[in-house]
This record gives sequence, C-alpha cells and structure tokens, in this order.
Amino acid sequence: MAAWAERLAGVRGVLLDISGVLYDSGAGGGAAIAGSVEAVARLKRSPLKVRFCTNESQKSRRELVGLLQRLGFNISEGEVTAPAPATCQILKERGLRPHLLVHDGVRSEFDDIDVSNPNCVVIADAGESFSYKNMNRAFQVLMELENPVLISLGKGRYYKETSGLMLDVGAYMKALEYACGIEAEVVGKPSPEFFKSALQAIGVEAHQAVMIGDDIVGDVGGAQKCGMRALQVRTGKFRPSDEHHPEVKADGYVDNLAEAVDLLLQHMDK
Amino acid sequence: MNPVQLLSTAELRLRAASVMVRFVTNTTKESKQDLLERLKKLEFDISEDEIFTSLTAARNLVEQKQVRPMLLIDDRALPDFTGVQTGDPNAVVIGLAPEHFHYQLLNQAFRLLLDGAPLIAIHKARYYKRKDGLALGPGPFVTALEYATDTKAIVVGKPEKTFFLEALRDTGCAPEEAVMIGDDCRDDVGGAQNTGMLGILVKTGKYRAADEEKINPPPYLTCESFPHAVDHILQNLL
Repeated sequence: MAAWAERLAGVRGVLLDISGVLYDSGAGGGAAIAGSVEAVARLKRSPLKVRFCTNESQKSRRELVGLLQRLGFNISEGEVTAPAPATCQILKERGLRPHLLVHDGVRSEFDDIDVSNPNCVVIADAGESFSYKNMNRAFQVLMELENPVLISLGKGRYYKETSGLMLDVGAYMKALEYACGIEAEVVGKPSPEFFKSALQAIGVEAHQAVMIGDDIVGDVGGAQKCGMRALQVRTGKFRPSDEHHPEVKADGYVDNLAEAVDLLLQHMDK
Repeated sequence: MNPVQLLSTAELRLRAASVMVRFVTNTTKESKQDLLERLKKLEFDISEDEIFTSLTAARNLVEQKQVRPMLLIDDRALPDFTGVQTGDPNAVVIGLAPEHFHYQLLNQAFRLLLDGAPLIAIHKARYYKRKDGLALGPGPFVTALEYATDTKAIVVGKPEKTFFLEALRDTGCAPEEAVMIGDDCRDDVGGAQNTGMLGILVKTGKYRAADEEKINPPPYLTCESFPHAVDHILQNLL
C-alpha cells in the first residue's frame, strides 16, 4: 500500500460527512462520535479548508447545526452544503411545485416554495413520517401527472442512529420508482453537482480535496467519481463488509474522524 | 341477469364443457376459508381444493425452509399460518398489509434482513384498486427492503412461474393446455404466458387503458369481461 504521505499529498480542502462521522443522531439529540469534536476543532485551526457535506434531510440546517453546536462542535450554517437548499434552487429554476413527502423538521427549508397544485413530488428522509398514508398520497400525486417527476434528497439505503440502523430515503425512493415505473432524480450525494457545489464553496479543486464519510458508495464512491480522494471511517453505518466492497475501494480506511485528521495533519504539505 | 349472476353463469358454462377450473389469487387479506365462503355466497360453485392462493404458497415455503417468520400480513390472513412458529423470527413474510407498512415495523423487518433472514414476498403487486383510487401494493415495500439490504426477495405469488405450475399440479394439465383469465396484465397474463399458458386480459377490476401494450408478447386476447372470455374459450379453444 502506498504510504499515507503519498496518498494525502496536495490536499488543501476537506469535505466532511456529518451523520456517522461527527455524530450519530437519535433520541435526545444523539451522541457525538468519540474524538470528533476535537478533530473538527483541529482541522479548523489548520490551513485546510473545511466544508460539511451532508445528505441530512430530516432536519433543517438550523436545527442540525444547533444540535451539533450543543454537542460541542465548531460549526455554522454557512459552512454546510445540504440537499434541501439545492433542491429549492432546482424547483425554482424548473417551475416545479412539489408535493412534499418530508419530515416536519425540514419543512421550513421549503418556506418560499410554491406548493400549490403540485406538479412533482419531493421525497426526503421522512423517518416516522413514512407512513403508508403519506407514501400513498405521494404515489397518487405521481400517478395523476402526465409527466411524473420525483426528486429525491439523497438515495441512501440506511444510516446509523444511537438505537441502531434505520431505513433511509433511498429505500422509499425505490418504492415509489417501482410503484410508478419511473426514475427519480437525486439531489445530494453521490450526485456530482452536489460535490462540485461543496468544493466551489471552499474554492478547492477536486484533485486537492478529500471526502471523509461512512457510506462507502454514497460518500466514498461518489467523491472518487468526481476526482476527489476519499477516506472511509469505521463509525456510523460502516459494516466490515464495506472494506471489501466489490466496486469501491477507498483511498484509506480509518477508525474514525480523529484518526483521519491525525493523518491529514501529519502528511499535508507544509 | 345482474353482473354477479353473469359471472357465476359463465363459470358453470365452463364446467359444463368439462373444463377444469382453478381459482388462483394473490389476495393476502383473506384466508382460504374466508375466500371460499365469500365466493359461495356469490353463488359460485366451488370447492376448497379448487382454490390456490399465494398465502398457501408462502406457508409451504416457510415450512420447507423451517424458518420462524415475522408476518407482515393482514390479520385476516393469519388463519392460513396456524401452527407456524413466529416467536424470535428469522425470516420475513410480507403480503398486502397497509396497516403494517409503517416506518417502525418495516425498520424492524429491515434489521432482521440485514442479519441474514430471508425475505419471502407473497407477491410484488405495484398497486391495487380501492374505493378512493389506486393504492400501493406490497411490491414497492418489498423493493424498498431489497434495496436497503441489497438482497432479493423470494416471490411466491403471481407472476412467478412456480405459482402457476403449483396451481396446475393437481389438475394433470400441462401449461399449454391451460388458460389464465385475469385483470392484471403483468401479473396474471404476463406471468401465465411466461409459464406456457394462454393469457386472457379482462377489462375489469384494476385494468387501465392500454395495459395490454405493457407486456411482450401481448395477451393472447383482451376482452371486456370474464363472461366474454368464457365465450371465446368455449367457441375457439376446446
């Protein structure tokens, strides 16, 4: 294996996944992952540019950042690239009025979107709001449209909460795709536009950036497809089989964010 | 004659012509007994061993695999699983059960599957017809679980070949000597034709305009209703 120094040469910016890297969500606000608060602080003290690149779509950025700050993280709303704002931009550009299949916690992100007479469906991580009734309503809206458009905030299979693994938006997106015979458009990781906008926000080029995430396909594979390097953490939704994924080979596997930051700071160009 | 009388008369005409009849259904919200009673009340002349349901197919598979299933099925279908152990489940059986398709229960099923439990789907219908319009069938939720766990369900109902072959087993007829009459183009007609049977699509029930264009090869015949299908059989296929 090539030495870490080689693998991490020329890194100027870091994209950090949030869930499974910084913290695990759950009851009472969830729990910070050991060492992550300090790791973020160290990154911010360093010359490296930092951007939080998350598919979080159950909470608004304000709620998410507030929660993370209470856990001790140095983070602000302006440093977060999240799918809801990106989706709003797309909706406005294309004159789309969405039926929202979302958790109430993220609804505020859609406050200045016209939701009357919907001509598309937007699906996010609705969690407990993925009731049969809500799924069925979204299905019925799509079936009534001459040109059914389904926009999905991410397509993750599952994520980790403190109580265990939880079905993610991707599973429910596939359910609607199957029911209606359509294909969803994905906003968020692993779509290249999403990664690019995160890189643009910190003025770093793909080949100078490293993505750190817990989702071998969505975070690591997706980032690599954009020309970035990517590290897989063994926290969050990580399962041992991820280290032998048939298609994706991370640029490195680390126990957690703290170890990743140690390596980055050790080997970055001085 | 009212519509129901037309249907039961058509059935009698088939029997009078010595055509063997089997009633096959993917219904997962009625036990065989319930179904039998309901059809008898509608004056269909039918006996229990002429009914083959996907619930029966599922139970057979559960016994064959010797697993303890988490049953995501309609309460009214539970009698078909009497005697099957369900404590400490190591398998998931999923049918049409909207009341169970809420996040918490599906998440429980998801965690079992991630641990290696097999997923048995009674069928994968995309949707069914309700009074207030179309409603999601079990298919989308099975797909959700398959995607989340990167596994494939074993489907025991229509349109699986095994279902049709099982249904024909005790008739002594080969698929080529059998006709399927149904309102679901993909599941009834497509599935039957894939097994070597002839398929007749009727424009009742969940049928929607141009459904017949959705399968390849197309249905052997598309017609207005069950009595019309029977007319055709009696006139052309015997």
